[in-house]
Amino acid sequence: MMTNHGNRVTQGQFSFLPDLSDEQITAQIKYALKNGWAVNVEYTDDPHPRNTYWEMFGMPMFDLKDPAGILMEINHCRETFPNHYVRVTAFDSTRGWESPRMSFIVNRPDKEPGFRLVREERGGRSMGYTIAPYAADRPEGERY
Amino acid sequence: MGKFETNIDAKPRYSAGVIPYKKMGYWEPDYRPKDTDVIALFRITPQEGVDPEEAAAAVAGESSTATWTVVWTDRLTACELYRAKAYRVDPVPNTGAGTAIDAQYFAYIAYDLDLFEPGSIANLTASIIGNVFGFKAVKALRLEDMRLPVAYLKTFQGPATGIVVERERLDKFGRPLLGATTKPKLGLSGRNYGRVVYEALKGGLDFVKDDENINSQPFMHWRDRFLYCMEAVNRASAATGEVKGHYLNVTAGTMDEMIERADFAKNLGSAIVMIDLVIGYTAIQSMAKWARNHDMILHLHRAGNSTYSRQKNHGMNFRVICKWMRMAGVDHIHAGTVVGKLEGDPLMIKGFYDTLRETRTEMSLEHGLFFDQDWASLNKVMPVASGGIHAGQMHQLIHYLGEDVVLQFGGGTIGHPDGIQAGAIANRVALETMILARNEGRDYLKEGPEILEAAAKWCSPLRAALETWKDITFNYASTDTADFVPTATASV
Amino acid sequence: MGKSDDAVAAIVSRHAQEDGVVDLEAEFRASNIQEVLDTLDRELIGLMPIKTRIREIAALLLVERLRKQFALTSETPTLHMCFTGNPGTGKTTVAMRMGEILKRLGYVREGHLVTVTRDDLVGQYIGHTAPKTKEVIKKAMGGVLFIDEAYYLYKPENERDYGAESIEILLQIMENHRDDLVVILAGYKDKMDQFFMSNPGMRSRIAHHLDFPDYSADELMAITKLMLADQSYRLSPEAERALAEYVPLRMALPHFANARSIRNALDRARLRHANRLFAARSQALTRSDLMTIEAADIRASRVFREGTPDGVPAAVGLVTGQGDLR
Repeated sequence: MMTNHGNRVTQGQFSFLPDLSDEQITAQIKYALKNGWAVNVEYTDDPHPRNTYWEMFGMPMFDLKDPAGILMEINHCRETFPNHYVRVTAFDSTRGWESPRMSFIVNRPDKEPGFRLVREERGGRSMGYTIAPYAADRPEGERY
Repeated sequence: MGKFETNIDAKPRYSAGVIPYKKMGYWEPDYRPKDTDVIALFRITPQEGVDPEEAAAAVAGESSTATWTVVWTDRLTACELYRAKAYRVDPVPNTGAGTAIDAQYFAYIAYDLDLFEPGSIANLTASIIGNVFGFKAVKALRLEDMRLPVAYLKTFQGPATGIVVERERLDKFGRPLLGATTKPKLGLSGRNYGRVVYEALKGGLDFVKDDENINSQPFMHWRDRFLYCMEAVNRASAATGEVKGHYLNVTAGTMDEMIERADFAKNLGSAIVMIDLVIGYTAIQSMAKWARNHDMILHLHRAGNSTYSRQKNHGMNFRVICKWMRMAGVDHIHAGTVVGKLEGDPLMIKGFYDTLRETRTEMSLEHGLFFDQDWASLNKVMPVASGGIHAGQMHQLIHYLGEDVVLQFGGGTIGHPDGIQAGAIANRVALETMILARNEGRDYLKEGPEILEAAAKWCSPLRAALETWKDITFNYASTDTADFVPTATASV
Repeated sequence: MGKSDDAVAAIVSRHAQEDGVVDLEAEFRASNIQEVLDTLDRELIGLMPIKTRIREIAALLLVERLRKQFALTSETPTLHMCFTGNPGTGKTTVAMRMGEILKRLGYVREGHLVTVTRDDLVGQYIGHTAPKTKEVIKKAMGGVLFIDEAYYLYKPENERDYGAESIEILLQIMENHRDDLVVILAGYKDKMDQFFMSNPGMRSRIAHHLDFPDYSADELMAITKLMLADQSYRLSPEAERALAEYVPLRMALPHFANARSIRNALDRARLRHANRLFAARSQALTRSDLMTIEAADIRASRVFREGTPDGVPAAVGLVTGQGDLR
């Protein structure tokens, strides 16, 4: 079990808050749409901090006016992958950004076992470090 | 090619002797700066009896080609081109007759691009702030702002990583980053020092930082610090599933020594290293190149800057340092907090932050920006707000500083009554709850205290933090304020 | 949501507390629907039965909202509609205004109109249709989804047709996302009736059927003048007489599409007007020349000469089935 605050992976903008309700998620998506950002739903069962490419649940949603469609996709993704991490990412295409501007987790496994830290002793007192999710010992799709 | 236009009669101009700078061609009121000119704006306090235009011409002369007397060797050069040209002098509002302050003037001086070596801050500064600040014709002199042409900016690398890529590497979006400086500043052993780093990062901060004067002292040699800090960073990363970092200060006596420390940090897997402004412009540029070549984020502590930036009549404005540091290539720079313990007028600080973060800044006198400035696609620098800030000010911090900033709560984390982790949790919860409220469209500046109180109901570390620091404010008048607002804005 | 909603809520709760009375007139004014109705009046000539229906629907929705505030009802009413009528009778324009009315009454959040046909909803291969339909639905959420010639979604002659999949998804959304989306199905009346007969599920989800009548010749003349004035043209008296003859002739021909046919006829008249001026370019032109459509510009139409519509040879027109040739 993880021993940090909330006993959970704390990636994303709102991991220190109680899980967001659908109304709260809708408000955040509204903020993204107001800024003209495209919203994407992604899922994974490999929460390694440097696992950049979570699976895309469909294409990023461009040109939407209203958050309801995105919430529909989020719920669809949560129903399909109830024990995966699901995150919502908002992309800004303006010059000088062209990068995500928001990212927050909206679904996570019931139990989060956390990460193993492997130390490799090197010359002198130096140490090489590797982090691996305990869950990733099992094959993709059978982890949580 | 046509001859460079001039209206100076050669015979009297070049006969031996001393003539006023104005007459030597350094004052050209009709001059229209070219797009490729570097422009500097000086605040000049002339000596008694010195005409402001002559003082401006003297500054132009001394910061470009002139010496105190006429030299015939000028005529072997395209000297009309190389002469800097003072082209505009405006009295500074609220100075001179009828005020308690000596008359001051804003002097605009244009420099041709060929006066400068490409890609060298040292060369630029040797001209602009080289000799001229000790010049007797002026009582005081302050470099207020500069317009750097795109053509010149293109010769600089700019920030090694920049805000966008830093966020991508850290996988942290949509909120300010959280940091803390390890305290006490001096005296901890490497082992004890790493404990502070581990607790703060596991609690919820993104970064912990060495202080500016933590280098390699008898109580803790640098390698010990690096080894224990990286143990702490990796342990915290495994405990949270987040990318974490500690700014390892590589400031040292020689360039070789700095590179050795930086290499060691990289080999231990650190994402970021740190330097102090006092290492000098050339060393900073070298470290920026090193950082770009080794995928490292480069943090700069502005140690020493207040020796010349704080007083309004002499020295240089911090916004000029911001510009030079963006060109030199640092990724982080301490740029003020508005609400904390260090100097900082809200309008001036907005000017600094815009200078560091925007793709283009428009002239805005109330923010102390005297020129339109196109940043020629140089990366954005992440400003760092550090010094006397705490969770109870979160709404003000986000309002004044925005979301692309590192908020550093040193005392505000380590001084928490329930321990360092609790301090970090309090800060992170305060931050996330405020960003959530902001995005929901709430008037978070006004409702900030209630928003924090509501979160404190379910988060006891935040409750304790709010209780501990509820009365802490630093309400002193700022010394460095805008000249173009009716009244100086008070520090909050 | 928004201010007007809050204001209404305040009025209602105050009245409810006082004596359980509510001022419907004040409610109506607060909603600003009259503004939309006025716009509709200005934009569309005639169409009296439709305008009356719109007014009735608006009144119903306003009252429904009040009933909800008095807790007399809790359901969101079904708002999906069906607009039938020939091409060029103003269905899209009315749908656009309907979106605004629904927004002002708080039944949709944005009120924008997304117009689609079968091609936007139905895919070419297995697994293609659902994402396509959902993509459209997501874009329309918060507003109105206008499906033109909706009956083409259903092809009884091909039981493997992917259109059925799209209909399934639409039905589900129309039922479960009533707060998020209003669907308007549009097309010819007879074809739509057939469609509903084969798809009773769809019929049962439609709350309002509006049948758009064809324009009379007089109304079409009025529309012509409105269109010309918008473009700073005018008809000479002779041209007006020519047009008055043209309109009934055109109405009798196949593929007549009401206002759309008139727009096309005017486009061609403008072309002939320009060519006529160009042919006589040695003469000086006045402002009036540049504005005035003459009888010759109208009478050159094939409608007079051959008794077929202008633009495309009659045989080709049947094949393409586009524009006013439909």
